[in-house]
Amino acid sequence: MSDDTIVARRPEALLQRRRAEAAGWLFVSPAVLLFLIFVAGPFVFAIVLAFLKWDLLTQPEFVGLANFEQLFSDPELPQVLWNTFVFAFASIVTHLVFGLLLALGVNNLISRSIGYFARVAIFFPFLISWAAVSLLWKYVLDPTFGYVGQYAAMFGIELPNFLADPAWALPAIIFIDLWHTLGFTFIIMLAGLQTVPSELLEAARTDGATAWQIFWNVTLPLMSPTLFFATIITFIGAFQIFDPIQIITKGGPQGSTTTIIMYLYEKGFQAFDMGYAAAVALLVFVIIMGVTLLQFIGRRRWVHES
Amino acid sequence: MTTISQARPVPGDDVLVALEKAGRRKARRRTPGGVVVDVVLVVFGVLMISPLVWLIVQSLTVPEFAFASPPSWLPLPFTLENFADVFDYMPFFQQFANSLLLAAISTAGSLIFSVLAAYAFARIDFRGSRFLLVLMLSALMVPAQLVIIPIFIMMRQVGLVDTLASLWLPALINVFQIFFLSQYFKTIPRELDEAARIDGAGHLWILFRMLVPLSAPAIAALAILGFEASWNGYFGPLIFLSSPENMTLPLGLVTLQNGFGAAPAVVVFAAITMVVLPLLVVFLAFQRQIVESVASTGLKG
Repeated sequence: MSDDTIVARRPEALLQRRRAEAAGWLFVSPAVLLFLIFVAGPFVFAIVLAFLKWDLLTQPEFVGLANFEQLFSDPELPQVLWNTFVFAFASIVTHLVFGLLLALGVNNLISRSIGYFARVAIFFPFLISWAAVSLLWKYVLDPTFGYVGQYAAMFGIELPNFLADPAWALPAIIFIDLWHTLGFTFIIMLAGLQTVPSELLEAARTDGATAWQIFWNVTLPLMSPTLFFATIITFIGAFQIFDPIQIITKGGPQGSTTTIIMYLYEKGFQAFDMGYAAAVALLVFVIIMGVTLLQFIGRRRWVHES
Repeated sequence: MTTISQARPVPGDDVLVALEKAGRRKARRRTPGGVVVDVVLVVFGVLMISPLVWLIVQSLTVPEFAFASPPSWLPLPFTLENFADVFDYMPFFQQFANSLLLAAISTAGSLIFSVLAAYAFARIDFRGSRFLLVLMLSALMVPAQLVIIPIFIMMRQVGLVDTLASLWLPALINVFQIFFLSQYFKTIPRELDEAARIDGAGHLWILFRMLVPLSAPAIAALAILGFEASWNGYFGPLIFLSSPENMTLPLGLVTLQNGFGAAPAVVVFAAITMVVLPLLVVFLAFQRQIVESVASTGLKG
């Protein structure tokens, strides 16, 4: 290759490089613009808001760390966080256990029609809006209108008024949430089960392993990435539970179902204390980020990666 | 072209095969344990759908006889009156149209911007692309409720509160879609681009005539889930919308049963049925695609 071809090529290569740069930015620019306006900008704005006192009617006032001081001495906050974590923990356990058992069941079915029926029945509620689900269950669990209480009464059992009883309201919401979103976990588990090679199961079977041994020593370890993923995603979803609580109990009775997002909604959009609501939202962000990072670290220790 | 489709690992394919296999597997002995599993699953399935059956039955029953004890599982005496009454209490078709419009604009709009951005991240080597992608991905950890406060204030400033635009504008950016699509584009061999480029194709041709058609399953999955999330959304409409004629269906349903002039329970049930039944039809018709989208993206609505 002679010298002058290299010289001749260089500006052309440079031009091509510039064109690629321009094309790249051109293609991402609508998304970047929208990202700045509706994600990054509001995020920064929310941090600033947390240092303000603002009811949207009068002028905003800079109050320093007052919102955070108020947050950490808020007498309602411990109960709110407790409710939220109880809900999240119960949600993870019930979804994972039922999701996995049902997926195992459907996976080992012989009958095609039972499989179809079970899949539709388990998954369909997940597609219905929380609004419709909440209204429906408000009646299902009503002691006089609902069939649960009516059947119990026929057998002479008097059930508590689940949604009006401080001891029962949160468990009732946990149950309704399980009915609504179990289909999601079930499908994720069903997908995870397919990653278990059938040769391994066959081999274990011919070696005389019992069904329980196969489940515990083969299926479960190979399912660990799926279980891990399901745990994270269930936690993040459960921690932000809002719709059924706002619709069914409004956080009551006696604050027994006020979760953190319900609390944020009350402060921000009912009391219009924007600065304080932003501080609560930042707390939610920190907790979700913390748990996500924690789980990523834990992943290396608990998850079996093939 | 067969090599292309073979070279392309389709996310969600596993599940599809799995669901088929679950029914197709033949040589399996019928054990007593197997029968127990059958029975348990049928009972569980019946319990799962019982609230929905009860809902539909009550909405078809004459008001004085609905919610009777012991519970009735047949709509007797039968009536369609409750459905007609729905329209006296809520602008159902208007709200249906609002929901449809919102979901359509949000889904189509966000997918267009996501496809463009994903192409740049997957195929064009430009300065700052890595930083940009990481920045956008870190936003996945930001809860929606955090940014909705400032967005609410912004929308108030520009006078968009109580309009559908206040909901679809922020929905046009979807970071997860960008990431998912760029990962998907990367599984399509780059040699195809090179070949097309030699034939004189530009970026837009390569993207819309080649990568987008080849990514149809991924785009369909994102479209289904995006539509579903927007159609069912409650938090956003609750905060932004206030007049009944601007509301979406979920908010309209909730408004129907509280406040002044609340509708009787049977009418609320009729309205819920009018939302749930069409959904069931859509689900039964597109079951495979819907289940696959959930399995392949792992997205909760």
